[in-house]
Amino acid sequence: MDTYFLMQLINGLSVGMIYALIAIGFTLIFGVLNVVNFAHGEMYTIGAFAGLVCINMIHAPLAIIIVAALVAGGLSGIGLERIAFKPFRRFQDEASLKSRAMREATLLSSLAVSIIIKEVIQHFFGAEMQTIPGQYMLNNPIQVGPLSLSSGQFLILGSSILMLGGLQYVLYHTRIGLSIRAISNNPLGAKYVGLSVDKTIISTFAVGSMLGGAAGIMVGLYYGAIFPTMGFTPSIKAFVAMVMGGLSSIPGAVICSLILGVCESLATNYLTQGWSDMVAYSFLIVTLIFFPQGIFGSRRERV
Amino acid sequence: MKRLFTAFVVMAVLCVASTALAEKIVKLGYSLPLTGSHAQYGEVFRNSALMQLESFNKSGKLKGAKVEIDFQDSKSDPKEAINIARKFNDDDEVVGVLGDFTSTVSMAAGRVYAQAGMTQLSQTSSHPDFCKISNCQFRNITTQAFEGPFVVKWATGLGYKKFAIIAIQNDWGISAATNFANALKKDGGEVTSLEYFNPGNRDFRAILTKVMRDKPEALYLCMMYEGGALLLQQKHQLGIDVTSFGTSSLYSPKLIELAGPSADGLYLSTTFMPDSPEPHVVAFVKGYVKRYGSFPNMFAAQAYDAVGIMLAAIAKVGPDVTRKTLRDAVAATKDYPGVTGSTSFDPETREPVKGLARMQVSNGAFQLVN
Repeated sequence: MDTYFLMQLINGLSVGMIYALIAIGFTLIFGVLNVVNFAHGEMYTIGAFAGLVCINMIHAPLAIIIVAALVAGGLSGIGLERIAFKPFRRFQDEASLKSRAMREATLLSSLAVSIIIKEVIQHFFGAEMQTIPGQYMLNNPIQVGPLSLSSGQFLILGSSILMLGGLQYVLYHTRIGLSIRAISNNPLGAKYVGLSVDKTIISTFAVGSMLGGAAGIMVGLYYGAIFPTMGFTPSIKAFVAMVMGGLSSIPGAVICSLILGVCESLATNYLTQGWSDMVAYSFLIVTLIFFPQGIFGSRRERV
Repeated sequence: MKRLFTAFVVMAVLCVASTALAEKIVKLGYSLPLTGSHAQYGEVFRNSALMQLESFNKSGKLKGAKVEIDFQDSKSDPKEAINIARKFNDDDEVVGVLGDFTSTVSMAAGRVYAQAGMTQLSQTSSHPDFCKISNCQFRNITTQAFEGPFVVKWATGLGYKKFAIIAIQNDWGISAATNFANALKKDGGEVTSLEYFNPGNRDFRAILTKVMRDKPEALYLCMMYEGGALLLQQKHQLGIDVTSFGTSSLYSPKLIELAGPSADGLYLSTTFMPDSPEPHVVAFVKGYVKRYGSFPNMFAAQAYDAVGIMLAAIAKVGPDVTRKTLRDAVAATKDYPGVTGSTSFDPETREPVKGLARMQVSNGAFQLVN
């Protein structure tokens, strides 16, 4: 094993961590809460643009910019829930709550919101990649022996661990986590025992979208690429990771994100990079055929 | 009865008078990506086209008629572009079409335009096969068959013989990479590796790590400026220190803005220099900055000239222009004095004949080199 493979491994892990960063918030809403949400990529974009506006207007330090992205993500998450999801919970009778059609209709409504958000951002900022002041870029080389790492990789690694740990704690050791799990398991039952379905769903959206927003600004600064359609590709990869991980498992999604990233990067050694997307999609197909519960899934029968 | 008759006469006279007074409209179509992943290019095309169109209509070069451009959003999707092409073909008022942006999309739509004998002038499609579709296809950009050998000659002159090529995986990227590779082999050089990446890819670290294992003397980058900026940054971060050459598509002030100091040292060729002292280029750059608040890039200039060539051909034929006469007039274009240099179309192949300028990025600016 020469440094070449080690370097490719690091390249892969850094890509995987970016997928993981998005997959965490995505899995919380989509998988854990069991709500079909295709606008998560736009929360990521909004976070990045909010951070960028902050950089350009007040030249704040990085920590404040991440806070701004968190706030922007959270607020737009609440807005998204209000526009695209709440109207579908209008009917509270048993049949509607059990209806898959009602739940899956949000696939279209969230997709519509995602398109609108993209177009609005493009209208105001233009479709081009935005210029980011050099001192904010998280791309400073850090040389470790023969390997070159970058400052952004450490930040992204750190925040992934923090988010993962924090969410696991919230989900399994707090009351709100318990109610999220209860609602995802059986919304009607949760209602009968007196849980406020609305409040829990809104707060899950807020938290998930906050994480999405923070991911957006960090990845944007790491790549130096902030533009209206930036959320699309990574959220597809995050979706694949979530399905592989078994939909409801956040650690599963994170591990699968890393596997995806490393495989894509090692695959460039044998295939041309143009084919590396194939890696992600063949993983998706293999998972769906051979592990219909996902690699780390247990609770639900089928992905 | 008599009053009714007078009323009729008055109405008839009014009708005739109004058609005589209303100027004839000559309609052009423009198929371009206004949304989707290439929307940023479509935006500048439209900006330039509107500028060129307004000054043409004001100039009075076409007596008794006004030209209009119908912009249609192709989303850079061949399926959409084909639908747009059918729509333009069916609209008898449309005499000629501009666009689309990428070769893949333009070629898909080109076959449809060919059926209706509709002139299609693309500002940027540089795939070798584009002009071969029919005698209706024209382009205002030199092809990779011209640019690749040009850069090879320049690079081998500077002593670079071993190249790794990194190219975007689409019709244009493949033709850019293969034309360069073939010319390099002919000149006795060596291609250490040829890597394609998917459009929309943002992470070049794996590719860069891989191509550097074969120790090339220089890189040749066949991609758009946004990908180029990311690649150059990541190359800098990985501590890779080899010279890079690039295709003319990397030429944009935005490349330097996005890549910062990582862009220093990049060599590339181009047809358009915004700091050129020539008066018509200065006027274009000033006008564009005033109107849109940003500097025009090479894509803006390409579109500006493409529209200009089309309008000049219309002016030559006059207000009664048809699809047939417009095609012949465009084909006869000779030494059109555009902002991307003077352009003529080869009577045989319809390929544009242009000059290229050589540039290098140094201290955060594009500088002409010899």
